[in-house]
Amino acid sequence: MDSQIIEVLNVTRETSWLPWAVSYFFLIGLSYGSFMLTLPYFVFGRAQHEKLGRLALLGALVCGLTAPVALLADLHGPGRFMNFYLHFQPQSWMSWGSFFIPVYLAGLLLYAWLALRGDFAVRGQGGTSWLARLYRLAGRGGAAPRMAVAAAALLALAGAVLVALYTGMEVMVVHARPLWNTPFLPAQFAATAFAGAIGLSLLFNRFIGGRDSDLETGLNRLLVLALALVLVLGGGWLFASMSGVSPSHSAAFSQVAGMPQWQLTAVWAVLATVLPMALATWRPASSGLITGLIAVHSAWMMRWTIFIGGQSIPKTGAGLYDYHLPLGNDGLLGIVGTLGLWIALLVLMLEYLPWAGQAFAAGDKKATNALAANAIASH
Amino acid sequence: MIQSRRNFLRALPAITAGAALAPAPAIAAAAGEEDGRHRWAMVVDVQKCIGCQACTVSCIMENAVPENSFRTIVSTYEVHEGPRTNTYMLPRLCNHCANPPCIPVCPVGATFQRKDGVVVVDGDRCVGCAYCVQACPYDARFINHATGKADKCTFCAHRVDAGLLPACVETCVGGARIFGDLNDPDSKVRHLVDRNKMKVLKPEMGTQPHVFYLGLDERFQGHVEGAGTLWQPSGHGG
Repeated sequence: MDSQIIEVLNVTRETSWLPWAVSYFFLIGLSYGSFMLTLPYFVFGRAQHEKLGRLALLGALVCGLTAPVALLADLHGPGRFMNFYLHFQPQSWMSWGSFFIPVYLAGLLLYAWLALRGDFAVRGQGGTSWLARLYRLAGRGGAAPRMAVAAAALLALAGAVLVALYTGMEVMVVHARPLWNTPFLPAQFAATAFAGAIGLSLLFNRFIGGRDSDLETGLNRLLVLALALVLVLGGGWLFASMSGVSPSHSAAFSQVAGMPQWQLTAVWAVLATVLPMALATWRPASSGLITGLIAVHSAWMMRWTIFIGGQSIPKTGAGLYDYHLPLGNDGLLGIVGTLGLWIALLVLMLEYLPWAGQAFAAGDKKATNALAANAIASH
Repeated sequence: MIQSRRNFLRALPAITAGAALAPAPAIAAAAGEEDGRHRWAMVVDVQKCIGCQACTVSCIMENAVPENSFRTIVSTYEVHEGPRTNTYMLPRLCNHCANPPCIPVCPVGATFQRKDGVVVVDGDRCVGCAYCVQACPYDARFINHATGKADKCTFCAHRVDAGLLPACVETCVGGARIFGDLNDPDSKVRHLVDRNKMKVLKPEMGTQPHVFYLGLDERFQGHVEGAGTLWQPSGHGG
């Protein structure tokens, strides 16, 4: 006999991983993705990638420093983070994450300092202000030896890989949410993070880097590859779900496939991947603003859909929980506040960090060392 | 052993007389639940539930649960089958699983299982990260807006430790909630579990729930396929 069930009364469980969590996963992903883009220049010495290296370093730093603030805000009491270090739990990915984040950030800051040490020395040259003294202090020793930069990069790389691993696994191990409990998820997080980081570099190139069309072309080509990987992973997810190869994927798929809002999200996600691929292929030297924006937006939307959308699926009850973005700390204000901090840090770095280099810009390391030596002598 | 509100009331004179006569240490020993002698469990006889929500209200009053949050609730469904329409009631609460997925994810070890099977949260240690809220397959946990920490049903451990019944069992009008010690061969829950075909929610999750359902319709055992409720909490109390 046909039966129809209508839920008359049940509890609506509120979203407990708030937009703060989306901001954190988004920013830390952009940060480790951007960090990877710095390696060709700062570690492997490929002079043609200098501008990319410097812009990406700026992106890695500004996103990397903002991300943990959003994460702390999600704890509803920032001082509570101490308990993570007082009560380590080896069976919890989140507990491991609390150790991986400092490893990555310490590695990134050390790497950035060593990579820019020569530039600090140059910036501090001659002046007598406290700022110039600070620059001289930061630049003591001049341009750092390649091995030192490489060692710091290795530490940051280890941290970046561990952060990428834990952020994916932490969500993937939640069996209670079929949409999260899919082996593809960690790879999808990483791939969209890289695509987003390339998008951020495209935007930085447009707004900060003087719109270098060679760089725009190169980044657009890289973006096509990253988005192709995103598509392949999405296709793999769909295949694993529909073929029945993976029961966990099938469970995830069957939970959302019939819902119009999720169908719309799927179409949106595919369009936001295919459209920038087509644009980047068609007009690689001039489409950077649009492709960059869409790539960054996709990285955000993917995380928003997974976290906020995933939590709107009741574990026991019928239908969907309605989610309305609150205007306060737990919603819009939190997102805008995080963006505000991001912009403030970016402005401070643009103003005070010698990110663009001096003699480095000319690719002359000897000149940098000489300038640094002069600066130290005059100090 | 007390097992339901009616049995408890029946035994009340004996308990109070005993308490009056027994020396204080003897009472404390009787109340000591942390030695692993007990394994607390609940049987919910779905057919006896009338959906009055007395359990929901008493739980809120007993445990100071903030407005619009619930440690237990009676999910109520309208079931249309051909020309007939029925109402189906399903009391939900923490299942105090033998294999609780909320515990291993906790990054600070704040949520743990007592030796008597009760899953609790150490509020001093909890950081409010809500990982346990995500990991629970039964939507039984939430973040308490007053404390900013994880909150859940404790089987009213503070009452059980004092020899009382959980508040929801105490107030259940139809006697649908039966609470007791599975380790006690004479307890009513032991008898019910041994002599009936019990069901648990989402058995495929492997969580081994210790809230057993008598007469549970399979359509309500997991995620309910149906039209969602229109009512949602409009805000939260502080």
